[in-house]
Amino acid sequence: MISCIEIALKKELRDAEASSLKKKAASYFGINIQEARCIHIVTIESDLDQGQLKIVKDEIFTNPVTQVSSLSPLDIGFDWCIWVGFRPGVKDNPGATAVEAIEDHLGKSFGPDEGIYTSKRYCLKGDTLSREDVEKLASELLSNSIIQQFKVFHIDDWDKNTGAKVKPAKVILDHTPCFEIVSIDSDEQLAQISDERNLALNPRDIPVIREYFLDSTVLESRKSQGLSKPTDLELEYISQARSDHCNHNSFRGTFRYKDASTNEDVIEKSLFKTYIQEPTLKLKEQKDWVVSVLWDNAGVGKFNDETNYVVTGETHNSPSNMEAYGGAITGIVGVYRDPMGTGLGSKLFMGSFGYCVGDINYDGPLKPPLHPRRLLDGVIEGVKDGGNKSGVPTTFGQTLFNPGYMGKSLVFVTALGIMPNQVKGEPSHEKKTSPGELIIMSGGRVGKDGIHGVTASSESYSENTPAGHVQIGDPYTQKKMHDFLLICRDEGLIPFITDNGGGGLSSSIGESAMISNGCEVWLDKVPLKYEGLDMWEIWISESQERMTIAVKPEDLDRFMELSKEHEVESTVIGEYTDTGKLHIKYKDETCAYVDMDLLDKGFPSWEFDAVWLSPQTRGLIEPVISSPVDFNQLLLSMLERPNIASKEWVIRQYDHEVQGGSVIKPLVGINHNVPSDACVTRPVLSSSKGLAFSQSLLPWYSKIDAYHMMACTIDEAVRKLISVGGNFDHIGGLDNFCWPNIQHDPKKNPDGTFKAAQLVRACRALKDTCEKYEIPLLSGKDSMYVDGHLEGEFGERIKVSALETVQFSATSVIDDISKCISMDPKVAGDLVYVLGETANELGASEYYDAFEKTGLNVPHVDFDKFKRVYSTLQKAIENELVASCHAVSRGGLGVHLSYMTMAGGLGLEVNLTDFPIDKSRGELLNETLLYSESAGRFIVTLSAENRPGFEKLFNGMAVSCVGVITDQHENLKINGLDKEALVNLSTVQLNEAFNKTFGDMI
Amino acid sequence: MKKVNALILTGFGLNCDDETAHAFELAGAIAHKEHINALISGKIKLEDFHILALGGGFSWGDDHGGGVIQAVKMKNHIGADLLSFVDQGKLIIGICNGFQALVNLGLLPGLDNDYTKRSVSVTYNDCGNFRDQWVHVAANVKSPCVFTKDISIADYPVRHGEGKFIADLSVINTLVANHQVVFQYADNKGNPAKGEFPLNPNGSIEDIAGICDPTGRIFGLMPHPEAFNHFTNHPDWTRETQLLKRQGKTPGQEMTIGIQLFKNGVDYIKDAFF
Repeated sequence: MISCIEIALKKELRDAEASSLKKKAASYFGINIQEARCIHIVTIESDLDQGQLKIVKDEIFTNPVTQVSSLSPLDIGFDWCIWVGFRPGVKDNPGATAVEAIEDHLGKSFGPDEGIYTSKRYCLKGDTLSREDVEKLASELLSNSIIQQFKVFHIDDWDKNTGAKVKPAKVILDHTPCFEIVSIDSDEQLAQISDERNLALNPRDIPVIREYFLDSTVLESRKSQGLSKPTDLELEYISQARSDHCNHNSFRGTFRYKDASTNEDVIEKSLFKTYIQEPTLKLKEQKDWVVSVLWDNAGVGKFNDETNYVVTGETHNSPSNMEAYGGAITGIVGVYRDPMGTGLGSKLFMGSFGYCVGDINYDGPLKPPLHPRRLLDGVIEGVKDGGNKSGVPTTFGQTLFNPGYMGKSLVFVTALGIMPNQVKGEPSHEKKTSPGELIIMSGGRVGKDGIHGVTASSESYSENTPAGHVQIGDPYTQKKMHDFLLICRDEGLIPFITDNGGGGLSSSIGESAMISNGCEVWLDKVPLKYEGLDMWEIWISESQERMTIAVKPEDLDRFMELSKEHEVESTVIGEYTDTGKLHIKYKDETCAYVDMDLLDKGFPSWEFDAVWLSPQTRGLIEPVISSPVDFNQLLLSMLERPNIASKEWVIRQYDHEVQGGSVIKPLVGINHNVPSDACVTRPVLSSSKGLAFSQSLLPWYSKIDAYHMMACTIDEAVRKLISVGGNFDHIGGLDNFCWPNIQHDPKKNPDGTFKAAQLVRACRALKDTCEKYEIPLLSGKDSMYVDGHLEGEFGERIKVSALETVQFSATSVIDDISKCISMDPKVAGDLVYVLGETANELGASEYYDAFEKTGLNVPHVDFDKFKRVYSTLQKAIENELVASCHAVSRGGLGVHLSYMTMAGGLGLEVNLTDFPIDKSRGELLNETLLYSESAGRFIVTLSAENRPGFEKLFNGMAVSCVGVITDQHENLKINGLDKEALVNLSTVQLNEAFNKTFGDMI
Repeated sequence: MKKVNALILTGFGLNCDDETAHAFELAGAIAHKEHINALISGKIKLEDFHILALGGGFSWGDDHGGGVIQAVKMKNHIGADLLSFVDQGKLIIGICNGFQALVNLGLLPGLDNDYTKRSVSVTYNDCGNFRDQWVHVAANVKSPCVFTKDISIADYPVRHGEGKFIADLSVINTLVANHQVVFQYADNKGNPAKGEFPLNPNGSIEDIAGICDPTGRIFGLMPHPEAFNHFTNHPDWTRETQLLKRQGKTPGQEMTIGIQLFKNGVDYIKDAFF
């Protein structure tokens, strides 16, 4: 029987969800809703009788103080009603918890034909509302056709008895699971099958695959299992393993790099090996705090004598571009599984976000899958639910706007974990599978969701991209699993653990079985969300919240006992062997039987042509702009720019305090509203050590040269860490590359060779900077297709590529958190210092961007000069000479002196004549000094008493006292190079401008 | 010497157990983190503990209302144990999600000695969103609440999407008259916020941030005292530290007002039971 419970807030109470709908309808579409109310619907398909339904309605689903409910449609008046529900097969988290609650409350269990589905309806009143308006709200605000369906009712069409006529969103496949044998008579045939099945096999891999399956020894061995030609499952396995997402073919590819201006012509064999692996392994030898890098789900560094920390980060771009909420929540919950699956498993203790989106006020002709405004709303909410419900503080984050991201927006998510360095006397960062150990899948169940997610993210977005791989993460199920697995770890029950992310079981078992050298998997044992999945689908499904764990047979009972107590589903689905074979069965029938070393069979590396054209040869010049006259208005207008303005509304939606270890928060200053340089957290509450974390994104500089983009990005991340008290001798790095397509195609990607050259140059800068600053890369990922083909005004499709982007994250361990400092000036009378020289480096700056110019003079990093300053500043902070410290970044000194003034709530007076300058790249004017984005700079305040000690430390470096903090006024006063007053703005004016752009968002 | 045993529940999406346990330890108790199912299965017994803490988090994902399913489950399986725990004069503290669970269980406000009736609710913030910020709360010196003894004003973080305290006017009036309103959102001087956002972050009626039962032994609050377990948790600590240093003083010498709250509970047990 199908029953619906409708629940609404009592009429006299404020319906926040409906209010938000009214507000967005007005501001996004100019649609005026006079009254709105939201009704939650719980649709139950079960054998519950009316008495039981009434019990669950009253005792579970209705709050007697705030809500009204009914087993028939609630009689709430409207002109129009919109019903929104999930499509079949989309993860319905409240539906799942409702089942759990009813099962517990009534002591019954739901059978396979029973289920609960949640949906909503919105009752709208408005004189002017038309069907067109209401359908616009339904399709562009309240639902996304990829995961949801909607119905619109006019009051005249409404039947009070049947209401929205909600049917269970149940998946019925009516399909008998099977596997197919695939013909491989010719390369062309296999290529065609690859296209048809969306395998995304690289044409150059196809001969290798055929050669393997046609080999007589292989044929002979397969015959013993009743197999000959490859099965669909086997090809899917190869496709997953060879995808760019899993195998990083671009970074392992061969680049023919040419520099037209210097005649350099070299072959780069593997960017990964040359620029990431080699320098990192060398540094690992030198730095005893580096514990484990470059092989596991995340990198591991030493925290203190008993514990290690774990860090990784990734992007979830493609799914977020189609379904922002689902993509982002799946991204954050997904990256949280990486630390859980690093070594023997770590406890999550912090996360961060990075969003790069188009103009949220865009009103041009291009039609991205989701408008940037809607996309950003959804992404923010997805990470909010995913992060907060995981119980992990989101302590840092950045939101960046650029038109290039309308083609594909970027969603970066980063995760840090902590673990004891030993488990039962063995190092916790090591793990292995051994023959005889059971393969266990814990957590969620497997459905059709996420199939071909990996291969889709290895392609640019087009109208043919399958949408079925968008999922909705379930932090509740994962949090239960997280708590359960840590107990298993501490009891020594886990010899090996990894997560199921891209590629599902195919990747997790495929890779872990390499260690024992074989496995036998029983696919019919894998718990499914619904029946009817083919074997290959079970094998590669990316259904979320699953870990793959090896457990020794003798530990199985205890493992399962704990699993039961924590209400986590765990199932034995196979065993590790040493047969050298990946052997997959379904009810005793073999559906895959290939050699474990199949993937080493000489698959060719990818090849790219990379041609570098210097900025000068590309015709870039410094723009001709005379000095502004009104520096006050200029500064206020800079503070209003979206990339400079306050993003407090995003940060406050994230719990950055949970776990009780917050030391330096993401927002600081007297009003707690200015972004901090970095955050500091105590992951071990009994320790006085802290983990400092910062991130940087400077994609604009790629417009001139991605080498300097990379160097400046790392330099900024390092400076931000030093600013809060970070240790320059312990800096861990994490590189997240997001690049437009680098494979040249004269028609589809005519500038592919240039983008490939930009990648080579960025990698060179990565190595140069990491070597000079001694930063091992603890982890890193790449997402190589950040392009979109957007429909235009006349039905044409226009390719929009993102800027070449790297998010660089940096970690450091601080010995004594009580010496950490924040960026806000604190005491009147303190002196203001600028550390580091300002040069004529306005290229790709926020200042030039304000005039829609690019320029040529991109900031350069002088590693040797800067690192002396960084180590010295670290010493000054450790010696408690510094009262506040701030890294100067996007927007230059003008913007960052404003940040400090707002944060201090005191007056700040400086003279540009006293600023350290470097004239090697040209003369400096007032605007150059205020808005140049030269790297390597800080603003510091200190008490006059500490002046001698401070200046002695920095003897011989470009460090000058430029002004003073005062309580005589609350203004930022800047005197220009002619010593005349140039800027004089109160903290009130600064705050108004800083909060003007996004200040009314909550 | 006898020790005060505090039970901190875990599982089903609860997530503040580590820092709550740490806070109880700093306050002088022995903290036991145990899964809700350990109580239900009888593996552990509620009667063996002196203080029960229902901590923050997202039990059952907050689906169907914060703390609702947790309350139903606890009522079904250990409802009687909870009532006898209360009868024995022991302490219960519910923080954030735990506060939501206590009001849904009916353990709060416990008017007319009825510890099963749901008469107040903690619902969606007026601002329409989850919000993390530090708040000032003013304590009611006339309140019987044992946890807030000698506390007049405190700063703690709030982190919730559902923290707006509401009830019928008559219930509110009774709570005020009985001094069951323990904490009110306030300005930095301790004057009630009078509904002003963001001093009152969620639109709670009467700026209510926390209430207790008539005995003062059951306490629920939205702010997180356990997240102020170290002086470096406070958002202004770097500023305060500079000012103290200039006066030749060392920061962090005193117990935080967060730990003080737990210590009051622990000390009460020592007085009442040992």
